[in-house]
Amino acid sequence: MSDKKIFQYLFELYEFRFVLQQLVRQQLILRYRRTVFGYFWTLFNPLLMMSVTAIVFSTIFKMDLKTYAVFLFAGMIPFSFFSASVVQSGQSLISNEGLIKKIYVPKLIFPLGVSVALLIDSVLAAAALFVIILVIGGNLSAALFFIPVGYFLLFMFSFGIAMMMTIGTVYFRDLQHVVGILMQALLFLTPVLYKPEALQGKVAWIIALNPLTPFIELFRAPIYLGVFPEAQIVLKAALLSIISLAVGLWFFRKYEHRVAFRL
Amino acid sequence: MKKITVDDVSLRFRMYHEVATSAKEYFTNLFRTTKRTTYSDFLALQNLSFSISDGERVGIVGRNGAGKSTLLKTICRIYEPSSGKVSVHGRIAPLLEMGAGFHPEFTGRENIYFNGAILGYSKKQLRAIEQEIVEFAELEEFIDTPIKYYSTGMYMRLAFSLATTVHPDILVLDELFAGGDATFVRRGRERMYNMIDRASVMILVSHDQSLLRSLCERFIWLDRGKIVADGDVSVLDQYNAS
Repeated sequence: MSDKKIFQYLFELYEFRFVLQQLVRQQLILRYRRTVFGYFWTLFNPLLMMSVTAIVFSTIFKMDLKTYAVFLFAGMIPFSFFSASVVQSGQSLISNEGLIKKIYVPKLIFPLGVSVALLIDSVLAAAALFVIILVIGGNLSAALFFIPVGYFLLFMFSFGIAMMMTIGTVYFRDLQHVVGILMQALLFLTPVLYKPEALQGKVAWIIALNPLTPFIELFRAPIYLGVFPEAQIVLKAALLSIISLAVGLWFFRKYEHRVAFRL
Repeated sequence: MKKITVDDVSLRFRMYHEVATSAKEYFTNLFRTTKRTTYSDFLALQNLSFSISDGERVGIVGRNGAGKSTLLKTICRIYEPSSGKVSVHGRIAPLLEMGAGFHPEFTGRENIYFNGAILGYSKKQLRAIEQEIVEFAELEEFIDTPIKYYSTGMYMRLAFSLATTVHPDILVLDELFAGGDATFVRRGRERMYNMIDRASVMILVSHDQSLLRSLCERFIWLDRGKIVADGDVSVLDQYNAS
């Protein structure tokens, strides 16, 4: 793929920005239309889930509930975003089949729309969570300014994987069922519920190799510890996100032309 | 200058015999020594070359399965040719099949914006034509109601009104549609011809002889993915005689 081609590709995407905007709107509005609390469900849902998890696991780990809650929230924010964008992007081409077979639209716009909508959800949910964190005694520090950078890297990483997932699901519909289980497994193999040091012995290498671990740290350091993440971790995350995005884009471009035949 | 060039285009379709391939089958097939193919290839379009320039009105004729719709979809970039090249200058829009891009939970107005966006319109342009679409569809009262509550007639009117209000340079029509009550059909036909008049290039696939004769002056006869003849109305007569 030449440089010129990739610029053309991105320019075309830019030309369709109004479609993207509409897709994001569709995602954000439709789910909760005609529910009493509307969009607030986006905020309540993770909040309630995390509260239950915090209560259970702080008891198991014999940790102070408040401290553990902040610890958990900080790890859950990036994990939920990653998990949701990979799972939901997988459906994005399939659910827009009618459109894709009728008119030309750059296909990247569908997983991108899903990811952008989820990013908005995640940022708002994080803001709501943060208010709670402050109330129960979290750290308000200059390190919080790092969060946007954290989101930026996390988005690139997740979107790269999401692009592969999008194509993969068109070819193997089974993936949509498998990915849910994988994400459940990944939750336990990523230091979200526990500290990275807690999982010792035979499975410690999984934590070390898990590409999601540095991304959790990007959020946990500023929110839980009130410090900037270590430069080494930031570099690792940046490198992973660039690789993920590059491979994802390459993979997507390689197979997107055949999607119309396979849907 | 609006122009379409189709240069040595072939399109290979892969027909899958199963409803869906699953990951399990894919991987078990990898390890199988005697490969059992679950698909067969067939050429839907074979080395087609032609060009259409500004002002032309082209009718594409041929029996079922000749590749007419596939050709239209290739010109519209929905299908990527297996080999060869299609180049299109000018904004091209297929006439969306009745409400293909409609979302039932969205209101009529929201659907106008979403579909308009896909057809390449900016928010500003859509704001300018929104009123015209609503008025023609006679949906002033219901335009902010989710379209899943629409009657079939209302739905069709909105789809038709939207499709005929947008003005692409290159108009691609796959069988003409008719719907709604009698007066709407009449008004609709007028509007349809109006839209065709305004387009620089029109390509029409139809089996309707009188429609083809009245709208087109050039005909391309396709058979099994190949061009049999390309020319004026005599091609249509030849096709009918065959």
